[in-house]
Amino acid sequence: MKVQDLVTLVPWTFVAQILNLFLQAFLIKKFLFKPINEVLNKRREAADAQIREAQTARQEADAIKSEYEQNMAAAREQANEIVARAQKTASDQSDEILAKAGEEARAIRAKAQADIEQERKNAVSEMKNEISSVAMDIAGKVIEREISPEDHRKLIEEFIENVGEAS
Amino acid sequence: MNIDITGARIFWETPIKLPVLGRLCISETLVVSWLVMLIITGLCIFLTRDLKVENISKRQALAEMIVETADNFVVGNMGEKFRYMIPFVSALFATSLVSNLISLVGLRSPTADLSTEAAWAVVVFIMITGQKIKANGVGGYLKGFTTPIVIMTPFNILSELATPISMACRHFGNILSGVVINALIYAALAVANRALFGLIPGAVGKFLGAVPFLDVGLPAILSVYFDWFTGVMQAFIFCMLTVMYIANAAQPDE
Repeated sequence: MKVQDLVTLVPWTFVAQILNLFLQAFLIKKFLFKPINEVLNKRREAADAQIREAQTARQEADAIKSEYEQNMAAAREQANEIVARAQKTASDQSDEILAKAGEEARAIRAKAQADIEQERKNAVSEMKNEISSVAMDIAGKVIEREISPEDHRKLIEEFIENVGEAS
Repeated sequence: MNIDITGARIFWETPIKLPVLGRLCISETLVVSWLVMLIITGLCIFLTRDLKVENISKRQALAEMIVETADNFVVGNMGEKFRYMIPFVSALFATSLVSNLISLVGLRSPTADLSTEAAWAVVVFIMITGQKIKANGVGGYLKGFTTPIVIMTPFNILSELATPISMACRHFGNILSGVVINALIYAALAVANRALFGLIPGAVGKFLGAVPFLDVGLPAILSVYFDWFTGVMQAFIFCMLTVMYIANAAQPDE
C-alpha cells in the first residue's frame, strides 16, 4: 500500500480538512448549541416569569399588610373609644349610686328624726297625763273635795302650760 | 532491525493528475477525520437527547456545561461581538481533541498529518486577516506592514506569515513526536523482548520472543503524557491562539 511522506502537504487533504472543519462547526451548531441554547433560554424565561410572579405576590402581600395595619389601627381606636365610654358610664353610674345612697341616707335620717320627735311628743303627753293624774290626786287630797273633772282638767292644763313655759 | 515511520497510508487515488491539486486521494487521515466527525456529531446528538427545562438528567447537565464553557471561553476572551465564533472554535477544539486522542485506540491521528493543521491554520489566518481589514480598512491593513519604518516591511510580512506556520507546526510537531516516540518505544521493547526470551533455548525461546510481552505496561504509562497531556494541551493551545489572534486583529491600530 502506498504511504505519504512523514511531513508533507497533500493538497486534497488540505482542502478536504478545511471543508471538514466548517462542516463540523455547522454540525456542532445544529446538534449541540442550538438545542441546548433553546433549553437554556426557556429556563431563563421560566426563571424570569417566576421572579415576576414573586414580585407581584410580594406587592399583593404588601397591600394586604398595609390594609391589615390600617384595620388594626382602626380596631385599636375603636377599642380605646369603647374603653373610654365604658369608663365614663362606670363613673356616671357610680356617681348616681353615690347620690342615691346619700339621698337614702338623708331620708333615713329624716325619718329617724321624725320618729324621735314623735317619741318625744308621746313621752311629753304621757308625762302630762301622769303629772295631771298625780296632781289631781294630790289636789283632791289637799282640798278634800271633789271637783268636777272639767274644772279639774282646765286647772291642770293651765298648770302644765305654765310649767311648760317655765321649763 | 529497521524502524519505518511513515506518513498516513493512502487507500485510493485517482489515476488522473490535476494541475495544482495533484491526484485526488483518500488517505488514512481523511478516513479517520470522518470517523472523528461522526464521533463528535454522534456525541452531540446523544447528549442533547430529550432535553428538559426542569429536573434535568446528568447527560443534559454535561451538555449544558460544555455549551456554557464554550460560551465563556469565546465570549470571555473575544468579547460579546464574537458570539458567532462559538461553534467554529468549539468545532476546532473538539476535532483537535478527538483527533489527538483517537491514537489511543490504535488509529492514526489525523493531526499527525501536516495537511490537517495547515488547513486549520490557514482558515484561522484568513479570519485574522479579515478582521484586520475590517478594523483598519484595506489601506490601513497594508499600511500596517510599513510600521514603524518602511524598511521593516519584509520582516512584518514574514512575521505575519509566521503566525499560521507556527500554529500548524507547533500542533503537528507535538503530535508527530508522540507518534515517533511511540514507534520507537514499541520497536525497542520488541527488541528487548526478543533478547530476554531468546535466553530460553530452542523453539520455545523463539516463540516466546515473538510475542511482545513487554509491550504491556510501559507504553500505557508514557501515553499519559504523549497522548493524553499533549493531545489536550495542543487542542487547547490551538484554540486559545485562534481566539487571541482574532480578538487582537479586531482592534484597530493606533
